[in-house]
Amino acid sequence: MSDSTFFQGLDAETTICAHCGFCRAVCPTYAGVGWESCSPRGRVHLTQLMLSGTPVSSEQMTRLFQCTVCSACTQVCPTRIDLRQFWLAARAEATRRNLAPPGLGLAQANVANTGNVYGYPNDERAGWAEYMDDAPADLYQRETAEVLYFVGCSTAFSPRVQPIAESLVRLMSAAEVDFTILGGDEVCCGFPLQVAGMPDRFHDVVESNLAQVRAREASTIVFNCPACRLMWQEEYARHLPGVRMLHATELLAELSAAGRLPLNELNQTVTYHDPCDLARNGGVYEAPRQLLAAIPGLKLIEAHERRERGMCCGGGGDMEMVDPALSQRVATTTVDKLAATGAGTIITACPQCVRTLSRGAERSAPGVAVLDIVELLARALT
Amino acid sequence: MMPIFDLPPDRLTEDLVERTMYARDLAPVPEIMTRSFFQTLPDAIVRPANATQVADVIRQAASLQLPVTPRAAGSTSYYNAVPVRGGLVLDVNSLRYDISLDTARQTVRVLPGTTWFELDDTLRRQGAAVRSYPSSAIAATVGGWVSTQGHGIGSLQYGAIADQLVSLQVVLPTGELRELTRNSDPPLSWFVAAEGTLGVITTVELGVRPRPAAESHHLFSFDDLDALGTGVQSLSHSQPRPYTVFFADAGYLALLERAGFHAPGARRQEAGGPPPASRLLSPASYPAGMLMVSFQGEPAAVNQGRDGLARLPGRELPSELALEEWSLRLYHLRNKRGGPSLLATDIWLPLRNLAAYLAGVRKLAVRSRQQIGSYGLAITPEWGQVMSIYPTDERRTAAYLAAIGFTKRLHDLGAHYGGRPYGVGLWNTPYLSRLFSRTDLRELRRRKALLDPHGIMNPGKLYAAPFPLWPVTFAPAATALSLAHTTFLRGERRSP
Ligand SMILES: Cc1cc2nc3c(=O)[nH]c(=O)nc-3n(C[C@H](O)[C@H](O)[C@H](O)COP(=O)(O)OP(=O)(O)OC[C@H]3O[C@@H](n4cnc5c(N)ncnc54)[C@H](O)[C@@H]3O)c2cc1C
Repeated sequence: MSDSTFFQGLDAETTICAHCGFCRAVCPTYAGVGWESCSPRGRVHLTQLMLSGTPVSSEQMTRLFQCTVCSACTQVCPTRIDLRQFWLAARAEATRRNLAPPGLGLAQANVANTGNVYGYPNDERAGWAEYMDDAPADLYQRETAEVLYFVGCSTAFSPRVQPIAESLVRLMSAAEVDFTILGGDEVCCGFPLQVAGMPDRFHDVVESNLAQVRAREASTIVFNCPACRLMWQEEYARHLPGVRMLHATELLAELSAAGRLPLNELNQTVTYHDPCDLARNGGVYEAPRQLLAAIPGLKLIEAHERRERGMCCGGGGDMEMVDPALSQRVATTTVDKLAATGAGTIITACPQCVRTLSRGAERSAPGVAVLDIVELLARALT
Repeated sequence: MMPIFDLPPDRLTEDLVERTMYARDLAPVPEIMTRSFFQTLPDAIVRPANATQVADVIRQAASLQLPVTPRAAGSTSYYNAVPVRGGLVLDVNSLRYDISLDTARQTVRVLPGTTWFELDDTLRRQGAAVRSYPSSAIAATVGGWVSTQGHGIGSLQYGAIADQLVSLQVVLPTGELRELTRNSDPPLSWFVAAEGTLGVITTVELGVRPRPAAESHHLFSFDDLDALGTGVQSLSHSQPRPYTVFFADAGYLALLERAGFHAPGARRQEAGGPPPASRLLSPASYPAGMLMVSFQGEPAAVNQGRDGLARLPGRELPSELALEEWSLRLYHLRNKRGGPSLLATDIWLPLRNLAAYLAGVRKLAVRSRQQIGSYGLAITPEWGQVMSIYPTDERRTAAYLAAIGFTKRLHDLGAHYGGRPYGVGLWNTPYLSRLFSRTDLRELRRRKALLDPHGIMNPGKLYAAPFPLWPVTFAPAATALSLAHTTFLRGERRSP
């Protein structure tokens, strides 16, 4: 299918949508709910109702938010609607009309009050570094550096995925990368607000992060969270000309290709899960696979549903806040498919995917481990 | 309030917003044409989880004489799956997967809500493939295609879906669950193209083919429609039989560029930018037509098919373009981006008249100043399925309503060349006399009366035109609307 997609505004695109249902067949949340209103074409219809002033309740509009913004729909849309843009615009419109689910207001309040989506004290952002035995005294916070590692809220605060941050700094240290983190100076990138339909609420966080990055004089920003990377590429990049914004796998693949990442043998069989925000939404398919191929002894069994057809983990688009049970159902389905490869470990490249898939594995595939690729690479470090 | 059906609560809804989503299909129709005459809004939607639940629902609906409209992907456009007398919409999409391949017999059993893409994808992992599929394969379900005409990609080599069926499990309008074969009473053939009017299909067993060992796709462009017509006809008779033959005219290519896509075989536009408006309106800038032919199967047969192409009139385009066209075979709807709305007639046409029909469409387009594009497939050596599409804008209700009337002009043109509408539903009932002989229609009505004496299954479709679609009321109304449409278009083109 042709790569070009379009978004000419909600009114035009709701008319252009053919209601053919191609999207319905690939939508993970439609599969988990089963009602037409929870299919992408149903959500377009709902948007049309909202725009036309037909009375719709916020409960009915919740369908618009029971969506992980995974873009599987965009992939197959024959009228080539950029449905990711569509969902973001439709959510913003619903929020403007006070039709958004109430839970999302909490995320916004947390970011406004504390600088992170969880509402934790923001100066504990580098807490994970404090737990490391071998962290330097400055806890990786330097005045200037070539590379700035933007850790992101979930990696910084969620214990399940804090090891990703530890692993990444170990890998960068081993490769002698000149890098820094922002610690308590980092604030939420704004992604949870963007997908909550609050595009006018993340202006402050963008300004604050931009100021910090400029002060560090970094020429590359690296993210282990694909959603942060996407947000930075879409909302920050135009203010930082010449600054590269890379996912951890892209940076590590460069280092590996340059021979700066010596890796030990790992005799393990794994499968790889393409995170939606890294792959379909972010366009990164090869770097993680190059890295897995660089680990001696590692056997990769690719799932049938991979790359552009990769399955969503259920955790994107603020779904955990809106409908945690549905998020779980989607995760379980995805884990089942990945576990069917026979691999004992699911590797992914996103902290949110690690969290949701781990919970899915606990339920449906208890023997299967879920790891971020950065953690796996750190285990292979010589 | 709906009577309480014996279903878990998450399998029945009366939510108004939800119901509006089941009151439409592909073609948006202004309320004046729907709500004034029909009850398109269902009273409730049920979503049974298995055949037993389908049977329970149908039994209870039968006892209440409540209309039931089966709906799968809803990828049809004649209101086939939209109720016209309210009642229940029975959403069959939970009856999905359970794909079981019998390699020795080369057959597969599958639940009806599985899409053709999903079925083929699963079969290919097991060394088999579906024999044919509709161009809507990503959305369209197995049960939905069996219930409609069942012709599409692959039909030229493997025949209609009707020829591929081995058995069907159905729930009859009494709620009885039955296994039907070719020789059962009733036979499974009654359910082919029955559009959900005789019961609900709950399992389909059909023949498959070995996963093709080789494939070869070729794209040709033609300077005149006669050459295109000859090319399509000779390929559809040729041996080895191609898997599929797709064709399109200059109007289709022009619409593609209007929608923002490059048309294969079109002269490349100058250094970037959209093509000039004059070109969009002038199919003369495009080759008269194009044709894509695909061979699939054993390598020797595929090579033989490819060698035979040397005799084809027309210019062969580079193989990358052919491959791209093949990869876009399910994406003809991208034309809709140039609409933003698109109206269409789908016509079953003798291939010997293809060139004449396409030339007729071209003349009609010029005369009426309506941009029209046509494309389609050779389905049998003698017959093809041709879509003629034209852009419009449903947001301008009066103009859109008039544009709907224009479909009759295209249908009449198709009829002039020996064609008839492809599919019935609600909106093609005015053409019943073109679709069926009197004897055939009498037989269809006999089956309906026998199996569904209370007429609960998808009432108002297929067997008779309801008012206002009686030919005596429909024909003058559609003609007047069509006239209004062309008058309007002429006025629009004249104004700066
Ligand atoms: C882009 C595009 C391309 C298309 N290409 C083709 C093509 O190549 N060939 C073609 O024939 N059509 C084509 N179509 C039309 C349509 O997609 C097909 O007719 C398709 O098979 C309908 O399947 P569905 O699952 O959408 O059925 P629906 O639209 O949901 O239903 C169609 C009819 O079948 C009945 N029905 C559905 N499921 C059942 C069941 N389980 N039991 C009993 N009745 C049932 C419904 O009541 C309705 O009358 C195309 C449509 C689009 C949008």
